[in-house]
Amino acid sequence: MIAGIRRVGPVEWEIPVGFIEGMRVPGTFYLSESLAATLEEGAVRQLANVATMPGIVGRALAMPDVHWGYGFPIGGVAAFGQENGVISPGGVGFDINCGVRLIATPLTVHDLGKMKELVNALFSTVPTGVGAQRTGRLSGTELEAILATGASWAVEAGFGIPGDIIRCEEGGCMEGALPEEVSQKARQRGMPQSGTLGSGNHFLEVQVVAEVIDEEAAAAFGVARDQICFMVHCGSRGLGHQVCTDYLKVLEAATKKYGIMLPDRQLACAPLTSKEAERYFGAMAAAANYAWANRQIITHMAREVFSKHFGIEYEEMPLVYDVAHNVAKFEEHHVEGRRMRLCVHRKGATRAFGPGSSDIPQTLASIGQPVIIPGSMGSSSFLLKGTANAMERTFGSTCHGAGRVSSRSKAKKNLDGSIIKEMLAKRGIVVKATSNAVIAEEAPEVYKPSSEVVAVVHQAGLSMEVARLEPLGVIKG
Amino acid sequence: MPFQELDHTADVLIRVNAPDIPSLFTEAATAMFSLITSNRNDDGIVRRVSLEGESNEDLLYDFLAELLFIAEVDRLIFSAVTVEISENSLHAVARGEVFEPARHAGAMEIKGISYSGMNIREGKDGYQVDILFDV
Repeated sequence: MIAGIRRVGPVEWEIPVGFIEGMRVPGTFYLSESLAATLEEGAVRQLANVATMPGIVGRALAMPDVHWGYGFPIGGVAAFGQENGVISPGGVGFDINCGVRLIATPLTVHDLGKMKELVNALFSTVPTGVGAQRTGRLSGTELEAILATGASWAVEAGFGIPGDIIRCEEGGCMEGALPEEVSQKARQRGMPQSGTLGSGNHFLEVQVVAEVIDEEAAAAFGVARDQICFMVHCGSRGLGHQVCTDYLKVLEAATKKYGIMLPDRQLACAPLTSKEAERYFGAMAAAANYAWANRQIITHMAREVFSKHFGIEYEEMPLVYDVAHNVAKFEEHHVEGRRMRLCVHRKGATRAFGPGSSDIPQTLASIGQPVIIPGSMGSSSFLLKGTANAMERTFGSTCHGAGRVSSRSKAKKNLDGSIIKEMLAKRGIVVKATSNAVIAEEAPEVYKPSSEVVAVVHQAGLSMEVARLEPLGVIKG
Repeated sequence: MPFQELDHTADVLIRVNAPDIPSLFTEAATAMFSLITSNRNDDGIVRRVSLEGESNEDLLYDFLAELLFIAEVDRLIFSAVTVEISENSLHAVARGEVFEPARHAGAMEIKGISYSGMNIREGKDGYQVDILFDV
């Protein structure tokens, strides 16, 4: 282990105050022994940097899929007090409200015919990869409505069913969105990209529920063993990227204006009470709404494909849940016996609210929030439930995915996408991507095993396993 | 080699070297588009960029962000970029071609340019900068 970090529990490691100059709180990593062996110095330094930020409450936290990013480490969580804290785009990232959703179908593994045909139909229907656009471009008025109301706009426009909204984090619409703070440039990028999957690690995957670990929770969430589901992983596309690009500059100016000292320029931030913070939050929330509408439109396209392919009704494919894993939000949490309103940043981390929370669907109040952890291509994905323990220890947060262990350039150099595709096909997984290079970059071996990451959050009690899903067909940009 | 890719787990980190500041900007821009796709031609399509900034780092960030923006909304891939810088102003000409989904299949999407570690350093052989792209 990296010098200066100490183990404080079976899956808990601490960076003490003083590890770097200016730390206001300690940092905590949730890692197993074997995951700790892959921890990068860059990620440790970045978590320590976060701990220096003004108004940080409790601890700077990192989930077991932590890795070296920019600004916050990926897998980083930090909460800031409303009166004396800050907001930073470095704690959210460029892909605002990158997230994942799981949709159930009435099919079981025995109803499936040739997966290749289904995957081809999904690939030709859902715009995928760089430069892909959806037919039926948005009007300026429609984009405005999306920025203000998110998934609700999509459902009202015929891209879903009312039940979808209830099963989205925040009801698929962040309060406090200020569309007027989203630049013309961001709008220009967002206009043709609504309802597109994007590229990189984003995907649409057909999955089977291979194992149910918690029967009661699985039944409440609406999944059962052998059931066919599909999962959508994407974010706010160029619109969100541009909002981050625009506001990094605004917040950097604010950092200087308010005399905030930071160890990394990418942590540029503004006091939550400032005009700059209000503007960034408003634009970020609007971009988050765009992402929810985006996932909703993709869901609609995939439902139509399933409907046509299998002769099943659209309404027979309910949304299990939709989570955001790159976002900052105002939430109330108990801190040292006090109820506090905090700005919680989750960058590559998922909200995991426990039973009784008023922010989760009423029908799931006794169970906890569904948490969706996508696997890397070819590996298991998981459905988990939020816990009271997460509320106490991590501001109701858990991991978000597998976490990379090897760079894209190394993967492209050392791995052959066509061979990986064949190997996955032998395991019964059909992959359709815009190129073999994308398959090599996202190969299963460049990620930490998702099962190991999930085992840590389960052991730490940050979220508990409900079901394991295995991939059958994947489309990727 | 005007630029090299350094190891970074999640994103793409490059190191760019050039004898002077305008060529550092040129190399950074061409490196960015070579990361996006290796199929690049100059088909005579031209876009001009003019910017002002308080420091060379600010100018570089804005310049790369502006090229990414133009490339995305105008659906272009740039292959050649010339840059002039005087005091705090930048004037650049970017040349390239129209993005074609079939020919540019598998292109990498750059989500943004990070401020992390972007410091232009002067050495005995010229200038050097590390740029981290979120991809």
